[in-house]
Amino acid sequence: MHGRRREKVKEPTADEREQSKQRVDKYCALNTHVMDLKSTSVFTRESLDSTKKLLELNTELHSVWNYRRTILTHLDSWQNPDERQGVLEQELEFLLEIIMKNIKSYWMWNHRVWALSSLPCPNWQRELKLVAKLLAVDARNYHGWDYRRFVVSKLRESVEDKDAVDRAEFAFTTEQINRDCANHSAWHNRSKLLPAVLGKSSEEEQKRVLDEEMGLILNAIYTDPDDQNAWLYHEWLLDIQKSDRERSELLRGKIEAIRELLELEEDSKRPLVELVDSFVALENLEHGSITDDEKSECLQILGKLKTIDSYHAGRYRDMVRLLNEQWGASEPLL
Amino acid sequence: MTNNPSNTEDHGGLLVEKHIEYIKSLDKKQDELEYWMTEHLRVSGIYWGLVALQLLGRANDAFDKDAVVEYVLSCHNADGGFGGHKGHDSHLLYTMSAVQTLVMYDSLDKVDARRVIQYVKARQDPATGEVSGDEWGEKDTRFAFISLAILSFFGAEDELNIDGVVAYVQRSMNYDGGFGSGPGGESHAAQVFTCLAALAIARRLDVVDRERLSKWLAERQLKSGGLNGRPQKMEDVCYSWWVLSSLQILGRVHWIDRERLCGFILSAQDPDAGGIADRPGNIADVYHTCFGIAGLSLAGFGGCELAEVDPVYCMPVKVIERAGLRSWTEHLPRGWGL
Repeated sequence: MHGRRREKVKEPTADEREQSKQRVDKYCALNTHVMDLKSTSVFTRESLDSTKKLLELNTELHSVWNYRRTILTHLDSWQNPDERQGVLEQELEFLLEIIMKNIKSYWMWNHRVWALSSLPCPNWQRELKLVAKLLAVDARNYHGWDYRRFVVSKLRESVEDKDAVDRAEFAFTTEQINRDCANHSAWHNRSKLLPAVLGKSSEEEQKRVLDEEMGLILNAIYTDPDDQNAWLYHEWLLDIQKSDRERSELLRGKIEAIRELLELEEDSKRPLVELVDSFVALENLEHGSITDDEKSECLQILGKLKTIDSYHAGRYRDMVRLLNEQWGASEPLL
Repeated sequence: MTNNPSNTEDHGGLLVEKHIEYIKSLDKKQDELEYWMTEHLRVSGIYWGLVALQLLGRANDAFDKDAVVEYVLSCHNADGGFGGHKGHDSHLLYTMSAVQTLVMYDSLDKVDARRVIQYVKARQDPATGEVSGDEWGEKDTRFAFISLAILSFFGAEDELNIDGVVAYVQRSMNYDGGFGSGPGGESHAAQVFTCLAALAIARRLDVVDRERLSKWLAERQLKSGGLNGRPQKMEDVCYSWWVLSSLQILGRVHWIDRERLCGFILSAQDPDAGGIADRPGNIADVYHTCFGIAGLSLAGFGGCELAEVDPVYCMPVKVIERAGLRSWTEHLPRGWGL
C-alpha cells in the first residue's frame, strides 16, 4: 500500500491477461485449500507445508501464521524437547528467508518472538548479532529495535552480570550515534538506558556521564543545527537533573552554544527558536533571571521567525501572545 | 451539498466524483491478484471506504448498506471478535473496523454486545494493564486505544481496567513527548495518535507533555507541505491523519501550515483512476483515500463541503454525536480548547 509508482495504464495483451489469471487462480486455490484445512483443524506435516507455500506468496495472512503455530504445537515432535528445538530452529530459518519480503511485517516479527519464546534452548547472542546486522542495513526499523529490546531483556534474564548487558547496550547506542548523529532511533534507545546508567554511578561518574552526553548533543547540534532531536534530548536532560541550579547551568551552556551557531548563520531557524525557548525556561526556573533586553530579543526573534519559518507561524503567534501575557511586555503584539 | 456530477473540477481540486468511482470499483477487481492478497483486511477496507464516503456526503452512492452490514456480521467469530474476512481469525484491528462500520450504519444493535465486550476485555493482561491484539499476545499501544474505543461504543469502558491502560500508555511516553508502540518503543506519529485517543477516551490527557509533543508534531511538516511520521522519514498522506488528529486533540492544528498540507494531499490524487496515494505519483489505495480526505476535513479544506471528522474516532462527528461519544471534548485539561 506504500511506495508504488503509478504507470501509464497499457491494455494488457492476451498473454499477460492469461498469466495474470493463472497467478490469481493459483493463489486463490492455495488460499482456499489452506483455509479449508484450518477450518477442519487438520494438524499434519502436509498442512504445515501448505501454509509455508501460502505464506511465501503472502506474508501478511495473520490467520495462517496462527494456524501454522497451532499445527506446530500439535505435532508429535513438539512434545520432545530435542525435536521441538529442531523444528523451531527450522522455523527461524524459514522466517529469515521470507522476512526480506517485508521487513516491516508485524506478523512475521510476532512469529519470530513466538518461536524464540517456545525454544527449549534459545540462542539470544545469535539473535542479537542477527538484529544488529539488520539495523546496520536499516538503522531506523523500529520493528528491529523493538525486537532488539526483547532479545536484550531475555539475555539479561539469562546472565549473572546484568550491568554488563546494560553497559553494552548503552555502548551500542554511543557507537550508532557516533556513526550517524542523526540516528534518532539510537538517541531514543539511549534515553531509555541513561537513567539506569546514572542511577548506578557515583557522583563523580555521573558528572563524567553527563559531560559525555553534552559532548554528543553539542556534536549533533553543530553537525545539523536544524535537526530538532538533539535539542529535545537536551530539554529532557534538564528534566532529569536533580536541582534547578544544575538546570540553569545547562540552559546557560545551551545559550552560549546557540550564540556561537548564530554567529555562523544569523537566520538559522532552529537555534533561534531554541534561544527563545531557553530564555523562557530560565525565566520559568527563576523569575527575574533574564534581562529586559533578553526579553525584547525574544519577541524580535519571534517576529522574524514568522517570516523565515512561515509553516509554523501559528506556533510563533501563540508564543508571542504567551510572552506578552507572562512578561507584561511593553512591546506591541507583533 | 453542491456536488454536481458534471463538474468534476468544482471542488477546489478535490476530485470527488473520481474518488466515488474509485471506491465503487474496489469490489470489482476480482481479476487482480492484489484484491485477493488483501482479503484478510477486507473489513478494514470497508471501514476506510465508508469513512471517505460519509465525509464526502455520499454514503449511499457506492456501498449497499444492507449488503455491507450482512458481510460485516458474517465476520463475527465464536470467540466474540471479528476477523478481517469471513473465516479469518479474530483480532482487535478488525473488531474495531467492524464495530466502527456498524456504528456508521447505525446498526450496532445487530451485534451481540456482550460477546464483543467479553472478547475485548479478555485482551487486557490483568497483571500489567497492557493490551494484546489477539489471543497470541502481541502487545501494542494501538490496542490500548482500540480496546477503549470499541467498549465506548457499547458504553462499557469501565469493564476494562482503565487505570491499567493509562499507566501502560504513560510508560510508553518518550523523552520527546511522543509515544511508541510500548514501553521502550520509539515515538511514531501513528502511536502518538492512538495514545492520545486512548487518553482522551479515558479522560486522562493530563499525563501528556503538551508543549513538547506539540513541538515534535509540528516538525513533521516538510517543505512539500506533507507530513511524515517521525524525523527524517518521507512525507506520507496517511500522516495527514495521524499527525493532524493528534494536533487537533492537543488544540494545536494551527501549528502547521494547513493550506500547504491540503495542497500536498490534493497532489497525491490519481486524476485518472481516482483515489489518493501515499504521495504524488504513486498508486492509490482506499486506506490513503480515507486518511487523505479525513486530513482535508481536519485541515479545514475550503474547496468543497466535507463533513467534520472526530479526531479521536476517525468517524464523522455527527455519527459520534449520535453515539453519545463527543463528551471527550468536554474533558480536556484546562487551557487546551478545541
